[in-house]
Amino acid sequence: MYLTKDEERILEGDLGPGAQLAMRVLVKLGDIFGAERLIPVASAHVSGVSYKTAGDAAIEFLKELEEMGARTSVLATTNPCGFDERLRTILELPEEVVEAQEELLSLYEAIGLKRTLTCVPYYELRPESASHLAWAESSAVIYANSVIGARTNREGAPSALAAAIIGKTPDYGLHRPENRTPGLKIKVDFRPGDELELWALGFLAGELSKGAIPLLEGLGELSDWELKGLGAAMASGGMTAMFYTSASYRKARPESRKEGLELVEIGRADLNDVIERLSSPEEPDLIFVGCPHCSEEELRLLASLLRGRRARPDRLFLICTSRYLRDANPSLISAIEASGALVVVDTCMVVSWVERLRIDVVATNSPKAAYYLPGLSGVEVRLANLRECVELACS
Amino acid sequence: MRPGRRPLLVLKGQSIVEGRCVAEALVSSMPLSFLGGVDPRTGIVVEKGHDLEGLSISGRVLCFPHGKGSTVGSYVLLALKRHGLAPAGIVNELADPIVVVGAVIANIPMVAGVDIGELKTGDLVELDGGAGVVKVLKRGAEG
Repeated sequence: MYLTKDEERILEGDLGPGAQLAMRVLVKLGDIFGAERLIPVASAHVSGVSYKTAGDAAIEFLKELEEMGARTSVLATTNPCGFDERLRTILELPEEVVEAQEELLSLYEAIGLKRTLTCVPYYELRPESASHLAWAESSAVIYANSVIGARTNREGAPSALAAAIIGKTPDYGLHRPENRTPGLKIKVDFRPGDELELWALGFLAGELSKGAIPLLEGLGELSDWELKGLGAAMASGGMTAMFYTSASYRKARPESRKEGLELVEIGRADLNDVIERLSSPEEPDLIFVGCPHCSEEELRLLASLLRGRRARPDRLFLICTSRYLRDANPSLISAIEASGALVVVDTCMVVSWVERLRIDVVATNSPKAAYYLPGLSGVEVRLANLRECVELACS
Repeated sequence: MRPGRRPLLVLKGQSIVEGRCVAEALVSSMPLSFLGGVDPRTGIVVEKGHDLEGLSISGRVLCFPHGKGSTVGSYVLLALKRHGLAPAGIVNELADPIVVVGAVIANIPMVAGVDIGELKTGDLVELDGGAGVVKVLKRGAEG
């Protein structure tokens, strides 16, 4: 990989050992993936923020980086952490866990990252179309590439952090227009009946696409909320970092188009199989909506579904969104909470300590949450669409 | 390695992280997720159904096809190093960002692009991360 004089100097340690380590990570990745140079990024989004998943190793690494003087040089946002004030109380988290999480957050802040604590940073700080980013968090990566038209690879937690410090990323993969061509066409011969069917289709498309970019045909117009969940499901079903719908493909640059794609047809029965595979028929103890974090559109849907309803006292109904969206939509939040549902920010059930609630079954409309929750927290998941989630939560 | 000793087999791959080590190989035919797959406090593989389940990766030249799973896995490699439980070296068929970045920040010598089918658990191997070379010095009794 070609490095400029300034980049060489950073690699030699002129800006201190922190920047040197970050540069080493980027150069290593660039060399391995055949990048010719580093390119500036408009922002970095960093995962590995919840103490539950990142653990003491992340704390030690960040402490060292901070002591070595590493500081961000571009806008850098953070993924959800393990709790907010409200969830901390509900989960009765032990003091040492709370302290460790807070130490992790202070270290990120000391290095210069913003305390966004959300997997949907793009509603607060929207990247421009065609801008280059270095984002971790697979659901945000696929949204940025597919819905916003920005360009990012699926970064790991430390490589996104390295990009935040250097302000650059190696120029390979989805940063290059010729790599943004679809690799297969997925066709459905029916309209998904609700968001859950659509997102189950996403999960299956992720599994079928392996590393390739799928072009989804036959879905009609999709709202932002539907696209957000579609991408999140796809990225958890496979390594997918980008997708096209017929609508976005029509607008794609000529060099990103391709003829003669392999065609895969998906029927409704295939989706039922996916939902069955990820779902348990058991009665839920907790209902969770907001993986990825609820958008304003989703909060509005919830507020209207919950009008005049009352959440069951024996079931927790948790709705996760970002602190920014909660504060920007006070009337929607009060309408939702009037039912007894609880809005939680900065965190989500996937990266928190759900197991402390001693519950067996969580209902959610998110195939991504359904995929991760059993392994991370040992609970079963019942998949249900948003309307059904509200019914399960209310008496 | 004793001077003058001739390797039984030399495998040339891609240099990933500099550094040399001589240790026994631990070879898996399955991709490995460090997050959830390896206990950072013991160095033991805990993923159910993995062909290394129950085995310690500490101090071995860990050979597996490639990484998988959460990108937070890089931090697990670092934790292993901090606790003195890291593998002595890593050999992959395919370099993936999670393992590569983990090896870089934890300073674990690593080579990729090697056919690990040529290596057997228990082989005494010498890994030269800078040269991208893995040498089998002695075939093990295991495997």
